[in-house]
Amino acid sequence: MENRTVLQQMISRPEFGPFVLLIAEILVFWAINPAFLSPGNISNTLAFTVELGLIALAMTLLMTSGEFDLSVGSVFGFAPVVMWTLFNSGTTSLEVGFLAALLIAAGIGLFNGVFVTRLKIPSFLVTLGMLLVVRGSALFITSGFPQRTWNAGDQWLAEVLVGDFMVGPFRLYMSLFWFILAAVLLHYLLTRTKAGNWIQAAGGNPNAAMARGVNVVRTKLGLFMLSSMLAAFAGVISSIRTSAANPNSGTGYELEVIAMVVIGGTALAGGRGTIIGTVLGIFILRVMRNGIVLIGVPGLAYNIFIGAIILGMMALHSWLERRHNAGV
Amino acid sequence: MRESEGMEELVRMEHIYKSYGRVQALRDVNLTVRRGEIVGLLGDNGAGKSTLIKVLSGAVPSTSGDIYIRGRKVQMKSTTDAIANGIETIYQDSALVTQLSISRNLFLGREPIKGPRFLGRMDMEEMDRVARDLLKKVGITKNIPPSTPIGSLSGGERQAVAIARAMHFDSDLIILDEPTNNLGVAETQGVLRFVRGARDSGHSCIFIAHNIHHVFQVVDRIVVMRMGTVVADNIDPKSSSVEEVERVITGMEHDAA
Ligand SMILES: Nc1ncnc2c1ncn2[C@@H]1O[C@H](COP(=O)(O)OP(=O)(O)OP(=O)(O)O)[C@@H](O)[C@H]1O
Ligand SMILES: [Mg+2]
Repeated sequence: MENRTVLQQMISRPEFGPFVLLIAEILVFWAINPAFLSPGNISNTLAFTVELGLIALAMTLLMTSGEFDLSVGSVFGFAPVVMWTLFNSGTTSLEVGFLAALLIAAGIGLFNGVFVTRLKIPSFLVTLGMLLVVRGSALFITSGFPQRTWNAGDQWLAEVLVGDFMVGPFRLYMSLFWFILAAVLLHYLLTRTKAGNWIQAAGGNPNAAMARGVNVVRTKLGLFMLSSMLAAFAGVISSIRTSAANPNSGTGYELEVIAMVVIGGTALAGGRGTIIGTVLGIFILRVMRNGIVLIGVPGLAYNIFIGAIILGMMALHSWLERRHNAGV
Repeated sequence: MRESEGMEELVRMEHIYKSYGRVQALRDVNLTVRRGEIVGLLGDNGAGKSTLIKVLSGAVPSTSGDIYIRGRKVQMKSTTDAIANGIETIYQDSALVTQLSISRNLFLGREPIKGPRFLGRMDMEEMDRVARDLLKKVGITKNIPPSTPIGSLSGGERQAVAIARAMHFDSDLIILDEPTNNLGVAETQGVLRFVRGARDSGHSCIFIAHNIHHVFQVVDRIVVMRMGTVVADNIDPKSSSVEEVERVITGMEHDAA
């Protein structure tokens, strides 16, 4: 085991497959259409990718602890509706509206967590129910109409969240910075800290973890709240960037996010998770969506490619897992 | 005269009853374990061995009866209570998280922290150092890196890690329920060696196994259960034969020991 080469060790890492796939994707798209790597296209792709990515980062930890959250897409749509309804109606300032949206999201996460951990209902059912409740609330509050757009130019909060700036030919948004910060912090949390050890143990063998004094319930509650809050944060960012708080936005994101996480090598059943893998998974799916448009694949065929990638990566991870268990 | 006699009493279970609905799994069981003693708990399938140690380790509540540790009466409401009282139970596989490394499992729930507490950063070097030490202590001579996930260890090595953990956190009593099940010859010898190692450093053990020969190799005293009660609690493996014990287990002879 000790005398394996560096290359062999790299290949046996769960992140290796996704990494190769991402590079291959980029090269193929670039070869077919050089505009793929143009500053304009990169800037556009990045802007939306990091918004979805923020949700995927939190979902990685939640899935490592053995649970998942189907309500993130609806929270993504609901949080900005809350914030802008409060602001537009003159009830609160934008800052207070923002805090209120995050607090409500935390409450949604807490509710999910309590139902899952205390009432022992599978997270699939709890968060599916929550998806409907939250989406329904967003539609009800707005009567189904997008919230009025506004002039966010003079709001410092909007600048901090999604202010854009040019780096050479690239237009970058502040959200990229928030994404990188979240990725670094959560990677550190998962791999280096006591909390990370507890998250993995909670997903790997909850009974053994509880017997050692690990507070599995509180660990999961915290992760459900984190997941909801990052979804709300991402939704707010997206609403400011696109100048629209649409009660329907975020529909279907939950599945795309879960796909990103498992493509990256996090185990669906819990116990093992990787933030680096998730970052790769995020880009694999977004690059694919962007690239197939650019090389002229008919829009109706997109999902064939996305689905094929998911299946292919699952096969790879399961093969690596079996090799790993066999001690290779 | 056996050496364990007269030694300090560690655990005493008195008049333990346990029923699962209409099934009476334990009937007026008394059991004493002294400090530094290995007790072999024998009995046929369904005799109540696992139930008895589950009561002791807080995994199931007894219907009635008292448990004393070092002479003090205690309530075992959960496995956490038992661990806090120095009682560690090792079932095959189930006590460890297979996805986590050896050192992360050893310190699970009691991770040493390095730097500011609020950052919660684990002291991985310290954990690895202790892990390497402990693996040597329980007699694993093969050089296994402490970063190896439990999932890629053999059954015997997993038992060793669990025993090492119990030793490190100074559990007074280590309970092993059929730790040699599904193990090969060499691995079984390994586990028996770990158990002796634990005793030699002052820990008590309750050792449950169906293979009487394994039990004979390591225990100081044999307790036999049959149909929910203790039928013999002071058999000395040095002065009894395997056949005699077998007869007590099956109930063919009532006056053994
Ligand atoms: N959870 C339970 N519900 C109902 N009955 C149970 C339960 N657990 C054990 N029993 C019953 O209690 C009795 C004692 O079981 P126990 O597991 O303690 O036996 P054992 O001596 O450990 O047997 P083995 O050697 O087969 O492991 C058996 O009759 C068993 O069927
Ligand atoms: Mg049993």
